[in-house]
Amino acid sequence: MDPLTLAIAATPSFIASAVEFVEATTIVLAVGVTRGWRAPLLGTAAATVTLAVIIGTLGVAIVTVVPEHLLKGVVGTLLLLFGLRWLRKAILRFAGIVAIHDEELIYLRELAELREQGLRKNEFDWVGFLVAYKAVLLEGTEVAFIVIAFGAAGGAALSSAVAGAIVAGILVIALGVALQKPLTMVPENWLKFGVGAMLCSFGVFWFAESLGMQWPGDALSIPLIVVTFLAASWLAVRMLKTLLPEGAQIEARNV
Amino acid sequence: MFKGVWSTLVGLLIEDGQLAIGALVALAITWLLAAEGGDQTQQVVGWALLAMVLVLVVANLYRAGLVARARLSSARR
Repeated sequence: MDPLTLAIAATPSFIASAVEFVEATTIVLAVGVTRGWRAPLLGTAAATVTLAVIIGTLGVAIVTVVPEHLLKGVVGTLLLLFGLRWLRKAILRFAGIVAIHDEELIYLRELAELREQGLRKNEFDWVGFLVAYKAVLLEGTEVAFIVIAFGAAGGAALSSAVAGAIVAGILVIALGVALQKPLTMVPENWLKFGVGAMLCSFGVFWFAESLGMQWPGDALSIPLIVVTFLAASWLAVRMLKTLLPEGAQIEARNV
Repeated sequence: MFKGVWSTLVGLLIEDGQLAIGALVALAITWLLAAEGGDQTQQVVGWALLAMVLVLVVANLYRAGLVARARLSSARR
C-alpha cells in the first residue's frame, strides 16, 4: 500500500482514537502535575500491558473464529449504535442544549479532587496509580474497539486502522508532554461530530454489506454516506436552534 | 474495565435508549428486507437503512428539543 492510500485509510481511526487519547492524556497529566509522575506513569504502563493482553487474546479469537459477514454485521451494528450516540451529543452541544465538553474544566476538577485526597511522603501513590490506570484502560479499550471496528475487513484495513491509532497516540501524548496542560486547543466537539458521522456511515456500510449488498463504487460510497449524515446533522442543529434560540445548557441525560 | 463497559451500555440503552432501540428496529427492518426481498431489494437495503437512520436522528433530536424547551419553561415559572 502506498503512503497516500495508507494515510487516507488511516484517517477515520486516527481522528476517533485522537479523541480518546486526549481524554486519557488529560487525566494522566492532572495526576502527574498534582501528585508527581512516578505513580501515574506506572499506572499508564500497567494499563497498556493489560490492554495488550486483552487485545492479543480477544482480538485474535474474534478474527479467527467468527465468519467475516457475521463480524461485519455485528461490528456494523455496534458502530452505528456508538456513532449515533456521539453524533446526537455533538449536535445537542452545537445547538447549545447541552454544555460543551470542556477539557480545561475536567482538568481543573481532577486537580482539585486529587489535591483534596492529599499525599504522604515516602509512600507509593496508589491513588495516582489507580486513577491513571483506570483512565488509560477505559480510553484504551475504546481505542481498541475503534481499531477492531475500522480494521474489521482485515489485511490492509487493519494495518491502516492500527497505524492511524498509533500516530494519534504519539501526536496527542507528545502535545500533552510539550504543553503539560489539557489539550483544550483540540476542538473536541468538532472531532466528535465528524467521528460520530463516520462511525454511523461505516456502520450502515458494513451492515448492508453483511446482508449481501454491493455498494456502487464499493468503499467510494462511504464519503457520500458521511456527507449525507453531516448534512442531516447540520439541518438538525438548525432545527434545534430555531426551537431554542437561547440554548438550554442542561444535562445530556435529561433530554 | 467492566465498570466502563457497564456505564457505556447504560448510557447507550438508558440515556440514549430511544435512539438505540430505534436504530435496532431499523437494522431489523433492513435485515428482513434483505432476507425476504429479491436480489434487486438486496441491492438497495443500505440506502433504506441510511434513510431510516436519518429520519430517526432528526425525529429524536426534535423530541429532545421539545423536552429541553419544556424543562426550560417550567424552570422559569
